[in-house]
Amino acid sequence: MLHNKRSLRLLLVFILILPLLSGCWDAMEMERRANVLAIGIDEAGEKDRNKDGEVAHLKNSFLKPQGNLIKVTAQIAIPGRIPLGPEQGGGQKPVLIMSVVGHSLEDALQNLQQQVANELFLGHLRIIVLNEKVARHGTKRLNDLLRRNPEIRRTAALVVSKEAASEYMKLEPSLDRVPSLYLADMVDNLSALGRFPPSFIGLFWTIYSSKGQEAYLPYLSIKQKNIIELKGLAYFKGDKMIGKTSPLEIGVFMAIKGVGKGGYGAFVQVPGSDKTVMVRIRSRKTKRKIELKNGLPHVRLKIRYECEIDEKESPKIKINHSKVLKSIEKETAKNMKNSIEKLISTTQAAGSDVFGFGEYFRAKLPRYWNGKIKTKENWERAYQQLTYEVKVDTLIHRVGMKAK
Amino acid sequence: MDTRHITTTQAAAILISTIIGVGVLPLPLFAVQAGGTGAPLVTFLGMVLGAIGLFILTFLGIRHPQKTIITYSEDIIGKWFGRFCSLFVILFFFILTGLAAREFGEVVVAGVLQETPLEVTVIVMLLLACISCRNNINVFSYIHSFYLPMILAPVLIVVALSLKNANLLYLRPIIGTNLPHMFLGTLTISALFQGSFIVTMIIPSMKNPKKAIKASLWGISISGGLYLLLVIATVSVFGTEEMKQIFWPTLELARTTAVPGNVLQRLDVIFLAVWVTAVFTTLFSSYYFTIHSIKQLLNLPDQRMLSCFIFPFIFISAMLPQNLLQMYEFIKFVGRVGLLITIVYPGLLLTIDFFKNRGLKGSASQQT
Repeated sequence: MLHNKRSLRLLLVFILILPLLSGCWDAMEMERRANVLAIGIDEAGEKDRNKDGEVAHLKNSFLKPQGNLIKVTAQIAIPGRIPLGPEQGGGQKPVLIMSVVGHSLEDALQNLQQQVANELFLGHLRIIVLNEKVARHGTKRLNDLLRRNPEIRRTAALVVSKEAASEYMKLEPSLDRVPSLYLADMVDNLSALGRFPPSFIGLFWTIYSSKGQEAYLPYLSIKQKNIIELKGLAYFKGDKMIGKTSPLEIGVFMAIKGVGKGGYGAFVQVPGSDKTVMVRIRSRKTKRKIELKNGLPHVRLKIRYECEIDEKESPKIKINHSKVLKSIEKETAKNMKNSIEKLISTTQAAGSDVFGFGEYFRAKLPRYWNGKIKTKENWERAYQQLTYEVKVDTLIHRVGMKAK
Repeated sequence: MDTRHITTTQAAAILISTIIGVGVLPLPLFAVQAGGTGAPLVTFLGMVLGAIGLFILTFLGIRHPQKTIITYSEDIIGKWFGRFCSLFVILFFFILTGLAAREFGEVVVAGVLQETPLEVTVIVMLLLACISCRNNINVFSYIHSFYLPMILAPVLIVVALSLKNANLLYLRPIIGTNLPHMFLGTLTISALFQGSFIVTMIIPSMKNPKKAIKASLWGISISGGLYLLLVIATVSVFGTEEMKQIFWPTLELARTTAVPGNVLQRLDVIFLAVWVTAVFTTLFSSYYFTIHSIKQLLNLPDQRMLSCFIFPFIFISAMLPQNLLQMYEFIKFVGRVGLLITIVYPGLLLTIDFFKNRGLKGSASQQT
């Protein structure tokens, strides 16, 4: 009897321990996953149209989204070929590039899955490249899947490209063995260097959703074979890209937006001569005051630059006296003011409040906002009538290691 | 109940870890849906309402330091009517346990373990609570105090790291626009504080029941403060409009937040792993309260068998909602109706008790 009881207990203990031996239900080996590192989205051309698979819908069915077909090019990591550190030599390509067509992003991804043996995994997606045409027709149709899918990171980068996005997937940059990582790092590092305001897909959505501001994205272009360049800032109206700036205007944009980290430099003519010096912004401080003037929104911008002189054009100019610096400061401030006013009026013409002035009105003048604005569309209209004053102060503290 | 072991700190710890639970994830969404930019205000009002309920219960407990709401309600409003009302209290916490387990399962399946069946996560969680409930109330308080730091730390870390992306503009105007909406939202939020009902069960085991007020004060202000912090952080990072598009803003906040220096690029997996403990302590409390109350109602000597007995029933109640959306509609509804049980009912008890006592003491109090 006693013996029986003991063996029963032992048996129970074993049964209890048994579940501990089992693994994770969702276990998935790394090499059995198809890690998508980057996605490029284009509008499908004539040639690609026929490629549309019958995976998520039937060809002649009425049940498919309207809109144009999109072409999705994905970069999939090949297991074992992604180097974990610096590595000599190499030669095998670390990624597989595939291209599919679909009515929506999910449709395209399903078509892609139909062609790949391993399960697609989007958790390592670092960058999404949108062709300019796609961006101009609206990003709304892409946002839903990207928000809904739990694998996708909110910190992934989103960029607009001048050339076909599929070209970017095929790039082979020399600085990094994994092309998509180079692309993603480019976006991240450029904002760390003060060349672009912070930008990632989560931020894009946040700005796009809020009523008093419009989204912006980096605008890239392919310079030569395998070299990409940050060509400007794409600004949006609603979910549609509506224009782009020049690279230098990114700096102006950052000044108005109030991004403290400076990076851009510009030539400034030294008063009293026809030669120029290169003045580079180290940091800035932006103050915005908003008010209503005759019932119309009015913004007063006060921007203070901290600069240094990087280079002068010719030995004829002498930077050896504080008075010279003062005059350069004044000249810089004048130039800055002009370019700031120019950029604001350009975006006003487009009706795109990419600087987010509207958010200030929403936050600080709720009565005006709730009475007259309320929706994004109304603010887009009101923004075009916005008046502004710009005041720029420039301070040059340092001139580098050279005495003259 | 012959030994009184629970200290004031432990009581506060039990309250905090009971209140902070599954609700952490959808809380900012509820607040924003109700109040827009007034979300922090809605949360604060909800906390105040929750505090009122908690203090009513604490006062009742101090007046009857040997008894819980199940037993003293019999003294106050009569044996049978008291028992009848207690039945609703028990039923409410029974449903609450089931819903909390279900909500936990839904988040885990949607967020991380997509292949794992919902039933498995729910059963594992409930089983854990079921086994832990076989302990006495002292072990109960030890478990809560032990897990407390692990509940507070991840939320605080995520909030602190996310401030990098914060934009204070999104928090203004502080007072939202739609007042009736805000009122309903306040009710929903204060429903998230319903775990504090557990105080009625701890007071009889406290070393010094008089200090229960202090424990309640700490409990509600720390858990409420954490909730408030969370709402402020999510609103200032996402803005109200974007938040309306996200089911679990807190989880999304963890997904957006990176540990500096590329150590971790997203915190959600770690956050979820630790959040499991927060859910466990909450489940544990409501499970314990349910069986403890049944035991008292039926005058049973022991609760151990009861814990296994009601397990299948709780599991079935957890599986009742058909889908995620129905579950949240149900949670909001049950939460608001529950306020009748957690605030109005104790309030009535306290009033009746007060007048009864004054009638009794009428002559005695004249001496002092």
